[in-house]
Amino acid sequence: MSKLKLTIAVTGLNNTDNPGPGVPVIRSLKASPEFDLRIIGLVYETLEPGIYMEGLCDKIFQIPYPSTGSDELIDRIEEIHRREPIDVLIPNFDAELFSFMKNEDRLLRSGIHTFLPTFKQFQERDKDKLPDYGEKYDIKVPASLNLGSQNQISEIKEKFEYPVMVKGKFYDAYMAYNPEQVKQAFNKISSKWGLPVIIQEFVRGTEVNVIALGDGQGNTIAAVPMRKQYITDKGKAWGGITLSDDKMLEITRSLIRKTKWKGGMELELIKTVKDEYYLIEINPRIPAWVYLAVGAGQNIPEALVKLALGHEVAPMESYASGKMFVRYSYDIIVDLEKFETIAMNGEI
Amino acid sequence: MKITDEVRISDNGFVFNSKTGDSFNVNPTGLELTKLIALGHDFDTIKNIFLEKYELDDLTFEKDFYEFCALIKYHQITSQEDPLDFK
Repeated sequence: MSKLKLTIAVTGLNNTDNPGPGVPVIRSLKASPEFDLRIIGLVYETLEPGIYMEGLCDKIFQIPYPSTGSDELIDRIEEIHRREPIDVLIPNFDAELFSFMKNEDRLLRSGIHTFLPTFKQFQERDKDKLPDYGEKYDIKVPASLNLGSQNQISEIKEKFEYPVMVKGKFYDAYMAYNPEQVKQAFNKISSKWGLPVIIQEFVRGTEVNVIALGDGQGNTIAAVPMRKQYITDKGKAWGGITLSDDKMLEITRSLIRKTKWKGGMELELIKTVKDEYYLIEINPRIPAWVYLAVGAGQNIPEALVKLALGHEVAPMESYASGKMFVRYSYDIIVDLEKFETIAMNGEI
Repeated sequence: MKITDEVRISDNGFVFNSKTGDSFNVNPTGLELTKLIALGHDFDTIKNIFLEKYELDDLTFEKDFYEFCALIKYHQITSQEDPLDFK
């Protein structure tokens, strides 16, 4: 069988202690026997480790942050595309998704395929809208309160028992045991991610996650449940294990069926001692632990690329439970010239 | 009482619950007990096997057996529809 020759652009090469999914996505794509790939790495910062990992990307380009404006970002992508024609683009940051979703048609007209959630799917799962989401799609969620200002902190004790979770709209979560700690977390989060800051009921239990891929028609193409075994102080998984949990799969399939979710996603759930599952967050993209799903038998990035290109993909029904991943850190020695090239030319 | 379907027991005493992701090490006696429960033996059969094999009295076995059962039930290694069912 001849391999499909493709050029794929990937963001999120920041394989730090808060890792972006770019490097594992590329690794997953390279594990596919069906593709002959040219990988374009798209980076925001000059010290993203993926730039310096030998054999990972064929070409690296620096791109402007979406906060500088969607047009600047897309103009730069099109400029790169003129030099290195891109077949599929896989964005891996929540914060950049909006710009790519907004310009999906423009990118497609240039010949760049994406496979992203719709605006409605993306926006209705916002953390500050989670209670409505839970009600609409019949899934348990923790009670929450959106804080627009510090003055509302006094309202917390009327609605919740401490401790509570204090969360940013995009990232960051802190546990707070009293109003003073809420105030501290509020200041940290609002200065970084803006308002509202979300107060969420603390649900006691075990955090479990599902990585999944929806085809946009209501079908679940892939789904693998996982439990974090080792968690960093940033709450990121440093080790995890795949689970055999039919209820988690049922929740995932039901949600994808009802929302007709398009693209990769990660469900973050709390499993209580009563075997109840609370949805605490939906990440609208492939998570950084995607390579575990590949190891367990479901190559989600490969399937996503095929869907982006309009190919039919049959749902993957099985995976191995009890597969583990253990992350590690590694020092790459880099010659200054390499750093200089990316810093000065914006490409390497 | 039965060992749940998701539990895998290795001969070296490593017990893994694929539903919760928890894993445990049991000592040789715990492994022997777990395997006998997994085979579906009832309390009396397991007791007779142990009394024959080890220098042990009825009461000590009973106490240790129920303690062990409570522990593995807590860790969702076994399921028990009736809390007094040790068959």
